[in-house]
Amino acid sequence: MLARTTDPEGKDDIVVAPKRGEIPSERAVAFDNAQRHSRRVRFLKLALPTLAAIIAIAFPVYSYLKTPPAVPVQADGSAFSNGKLVMANPKLEGFTKQNLPYSMKALRAIQDVSKESIIGLEGIDAKLPLDKDTSATVGASQGVYNRDANTLELAKDITMTTTSGMVVKLKSAFLDMAKGNMKTNDPVDIVTRGSHIQSDSMSVEDGGKVLVFEKRVRVNLEPGALKTASDKSGEPNAAQ
Amino acid sequence: QSTQTNMSGLKLSGDKPIQIESDKLEVRQDENLAIFTGNVSVVQGPTLLKAGILKVYYLKDQAAGKDGSKSAAMAGPALGGSTNIDHLEVDGTVYLKSDDQVATGDRGTFDMKSQVLVLTGSKVVLSQGDNILTGCKLTVQMKSGLANVDGCSKGGSGRVMMSISPDSAKKP
Repeated sequence: MLARTTDPEGKDDIVVAPKRGEIPSERAVAFDNAQRHSRRVRFLKLALPTLAAIIAIAFPVYSYLKTPPAVPVQADGSAFSNGKLVMANPKLEGFTKQNLPYSMKALRAIQDVSKESIIGLEGIDAKLPLDKDTSATVGASQGVYNRDANTLELAKDITMTTTSGMVVKLKSAFLDMAKGNMKTNDPVDIVTRGSHIQSDSMSVEDGGKVLVFEKRVRVNLEPGALKTASDKSGEPNAAQ
Repeated sequence: QSTQTNMSGLKLSGDKPIQIESDKLEVRQDENLAIFTGNVSVVQGPTLLKAGILKVYYLKDQAAGKDGSKSAAMAGPALGGSTNIDHLEVDGTVYLKSDDQVATGDRGTFDMKSQVLVLTGSKVVLSQGDNILTGCKLTVQMKSGLANVDGCSKGGSGRVMMSISPDSAKKP
């Protein structure tokens, strides 16, 4: 829409129109048209550039905001083999609902192009915060990470060690990274200072605050562990 | 009215390993509490305790565990950290056996500090061999082995029934 040049004599008249200016009223009409035209031009001269500027700024801002906060997955190298994307040493970090950092590293990640949110992992090393003081590092040979649900399903033998000195051995585990929960329906073996717990299923709930063991729970408390309060105060415990 | 007898066997001491088995265990870190439910059995040396529910309360003031780290204490209960037990509560028909002495009741508490075991219920029975003592409350001082059975003052005659079989009378 090119602005028309404001040509005073109106030489670019339309062939059909009568020659302007013969009848006085016509001259007034032509003058009004010209005036309206120039006003329109004056308006457009200002409106169009500003409109262009606004669009120029709005578009990048809009597109930046619209991009989903993709979980930053860095990987050293990636190769593409038979329909699967293989990443070497993928690393992934994020925050749980209680705003505690979790991170996950693996030797290899295999992602099927068709199912983009499911990532097969090998040689997993994840760090899962249990509460603000304790966190757990989870090592497993194999697992599947679901990016949408932010869950990690581990198979084969898994070892989990917490900063509070607890060593957990599992056959399988389902970790909900966001909530900091974990569940397993296979035998569990937990060794901590002074106590040893075994059971056939276990779940860590409420971000690590509640641990529930089920099916054949066996607990052994070593002697040293069960220091009764009285021992501390020096009174000898009545001999049998 | 109460009767005293000697029950040196009934004891949960700190210097011998304890095995606990149950159907379910729930450890509540915040409340320093571990709840065993579903035919719970606790074995320590000759002493055997069976109950429907066993609640283990850990000492609260473990915030600054001996190794100083709060987290170690927080993971306290049966899971690492200092596991100083404050007291135990048992429920759901309690059966306590040690050597030849057997005590049964509905509920019981065992305070580790004072080493006092209290078994209560509508009918608390304490038996040693053929001697049987029934009442409503059995209190055992673990340290001295002194057991004290109180009658059921509310209902019943408030009296303690005690039957001593002739042959056991001869033993010292």
